[in-house]
Amino acid sequence: MTERALEGVKVLDLTHHISGPYCSKLLADFGADVLKVERPGGDPARRMAPFLHDEAGPEKSLVFAYLNTNKQSVTLDLKSEKGIQILKSLVEQSDVLVENFAPKAMPSLGLDYEALQEINPGLVMTSISNFGQTGPYRDYKAADIVEYAMGGLLYISGAYDREPLKHSFNQAQFKAGTDAASATLMAVYHQRLTGEGQRVDVSIQEAVATGLRDVVNNFTYSGAVRRRQPNHSGDLSRLRASADGHLIPNPGIGAGLNWNTLVEFLDLPELDDEKFDTPSARLVNAEELGRILDKYFIKQNKYERFYAAHEKRFIFGVVQSPKEVMADPQFEARNYFVDIDHPELGTLKYPGAPFEMSSTPWEARTAAPVLGQHNQEVIGARLGHTPDQLAQMRAMGVI
Amino acid sequence: MPGPLEGVRIIEMGQLIAIPFAMKMLADMGAQVIRLESVARLESYRSDSVYQNDISGEFWNKGANFYEQNRNKLGVTLDLSKPEGLQVLRNLVSIADVFSENFTPRVIKNFGLEYEDLRKIKPDIIMVSSTGYGFYGPWSNFGATGPATEGAAGLAYQTGYLGGGPVMAEIPYTDYTSGEHTVFAVMAALMHRLRTGQGQFVDISQTQATSSTIPEVLMDFSANGRSGQRFGNQDTVMSPHGCYPCRGDDRWITIAVATDEEWQAVCRVLGQNGWAADPRFNDSFSRWKNRDELDALIGTVTSTWDAHELMHALQKDGVAAGAVLDSKDLLFDPHLGQRNFYEVVTHHESTGIPPLPYAGRPWKLSKTPAVNSQPAPLMGEHNNLVLSGLLGKTAEEMAELEEAGIIGYGPTNPRPVQRPSLDEQVRQGRMQRYETDFGEQVRRAFPG
Repeated sequence: MTERALEGVKVLDLTHHISGPYCSKLLADFGADVLKVERPGGDPARRMAPFLHDEAGPEKSLVFAYLNTNKQSVTLDLKSEKGIQILKSLVEQSDVLVENFAPKAMPSLGLDYEALQEINPGLVMTSISNFGQTGPYRDYKAADIVEYAMGGLLYISGAYDREPLKHSFNQAQFKAGTDAASATLMAVYHQRLTGEGQRVDVSIQEAVATGLRDVVNNFTYSGAVRRRQPNHSGDLSRLRASADGHLIPNPGIGAGLNWNTLVEFLDLPELDDEKFDTPSARLVNAEELGRILDKYFIKQNKYERFYAAHEKRFIFGVVQSPKEVMADPQFEARNYFVDIDHPELGTLKYPGAPFEMSSTPWEARTAAPVLGQHNQEVIGARLGHTPDQLAQMRAMGVI
Repeated sequence: MPGPLEGVRIIEMGQLIAIPFAMKMLADMGAQVIRLESVARLESYRSDSVYQNDISGEFWNKGANFYEQNRNKLGVTLDLSKPEGLQVLRNLVSIADVFSENFTPRVIKNFGLEYEDLRKIKPDIIMVSSTGYGFYGPWSNFGATGPATEGAAGLAYQTGYLGGGPVMAEIPYTDYTSGEHTVFAVMAALMHRLRTGQGQFVDISQTQATSSTIPEVLMDFSANGRSGQRFGNQDTVMSPHGCYPCRGDDRWITIAVATDEEWQAVCRVLGQNGWAADPRFNDSFSRWKNRDELDALIGTVTSTWDAHELMHALQKDGVAAGAVLDSKDLLFDPHLGQRNFYEVVTHHESTGIPPLPYAGRPWKLSKTPAVNSQPAPLMGEHNNLVLSGLLGKTAEEMAELEEAGIIGYGPTNPRPVQRPSLDEQVRQGRMQRYETDFGEQVRRAFPG
């Protein structure tokens, strides 16, 4: 058996949708025991597109399948007394409880930190929410685009002369999920050293606002308000169109760049000019430089320029389509995409390790659970309910 | 106040964001982070975006992004191209828990600083390498910045205006995505070491970390062979879902409607009874089908509203809405203010920078909050504290190191970046505007 980094960390997972499940997926994929508690109808993410062959169904969501590897699933109606009672006995056996309900939900169920901490003083309770557990916007609703707006990333993203544009899909949720996993482990680390549990409050807005550059500090350092950048900003790391797609012809960083070598590599003598040969000069003559580079790259092949540039140690980048990503020789050498077999989805390739650990590698031990797959094992065997009692709970809609 | 990571010592050979950001987060939580830098090869965040764009004097101690990424760290200069410098680094590794770096593997191999080398010095060391594409494989020595890995990972391809080409973030976005995963990776390795006493090698591919956050794209291709749709700010299910103009110059609001009730609330707040009854919009599928029309209509009404007023009105009626905050809005946001998201850092007097607020962390730990913020180090500020205090170098040895140029207190080849004037930056469109009384505004809101 492979060694696991988080061996022995027991996580009670009350999360749904994306941010919470990504947090518990990171913990599970590196070895924690994660027990996912779903409402009897299941995590709403089970109904989230895309589905295999576009056929909706609780076991057909591809994003759900990705987000819930290595977890066990039990169903529990937290609005019933019996459901709460079972949850509390699970809390007793856990190191961590992670949830991403609206901030008023857990207290309304009598499951606030104070109550749970009485059951288990060592418990780390991690809550992920749109705007955190305190403050005037605590109960505000949000979607990923609202978090982008309120986290300061939207205003600077997109075309200069159009409406701000967000990254596609759910980046803010993934950021918060990652941050929550880190903060949870910090608290567990402290718990392992001292026995003391605590409350961890993760805000999705703050997850976005933490990952900016030249936004707030442009104002505090110079009074400037940064806008979405014009196409010709003098920034060499901008995306440019090639004949067959797009690339990022960034030659190098700061003073480390030798301009003459670049001019020679591109074979563009018109750039051999003091208008362009220092970072300061390029900022002043940004528009002219941008036009020259656009005209040049539109005739190039992106991979040819990418590989040629790296031979000269220019740090060019290439924009890859999903198809190109999945055929990427680097990912292939690192076995990034892994086959996972799921009872309803069959064997599919999933994105794998976000990073590698030499002694405690990322692993896909089990596919995402089907709804309530572990009711018998956990609520029955582990908590000592008889088959009759389980049947009764099922009849009453508790599980 | 001690953080949860008190007692963890980290040696950082970082640059720019990917590793410095992650190590800052760990330093905030109590780890002792000793950041190494070269006097011969100046970190670019020390030479750019300096306070008030004033590159006179010791500009290398005035860079905004250097302060942003390196608070609560100890700073040591070390020239690793000389054997004595490398020896000091090895001595530091011998008393460290974690060694982290974000150079290309070629550089690390040339210095003899691979995991196998380090574990001979410190058997239980945790080594963390963060690279664009990963420490091994055919692209491993390809240098990269955020935009390159945003492209390689598949994120840029899928982002863009409806019918337009790919679009990328205007910041090194994936440095943060990978940095966030790096914090988690270090914590996982520390947990493992706490239990077993063993260190290991952590290999962060900035591209892999980013691809791991777009299953919507990659799973759809993997299972259904589909790709290539760019749909601006629209959602695959919700409508309206977008960014709409508001009153004022470059002012916007985001609105995301998931249910019919929320849609009715939008109609109420915007005073559009006609929309509420319009069959084109009265169920979620119809709204989604007619979303282009709907988005245009909504924009004509939101443009008469103040973005913040509309946000509060919609939220009060249960609709997910958020004003699009610019730099200044974000800094003075009352909600973030009440949560003490920004932390005021007092800079060294010699820099001439007043106390300034910096973004904190996205988490709050109730029993072990963060340490009190100290500014990023001046160049070589902690040479003595670390090299004498921790490694026992005598005053004579310190003088020798300085004489040999192994350590120092300023760059040997100072080349600051002179930014164009703010007027010129506004003319070029990089800045929306600037406010000359910003110092006073910041001081009033964040007295420190």
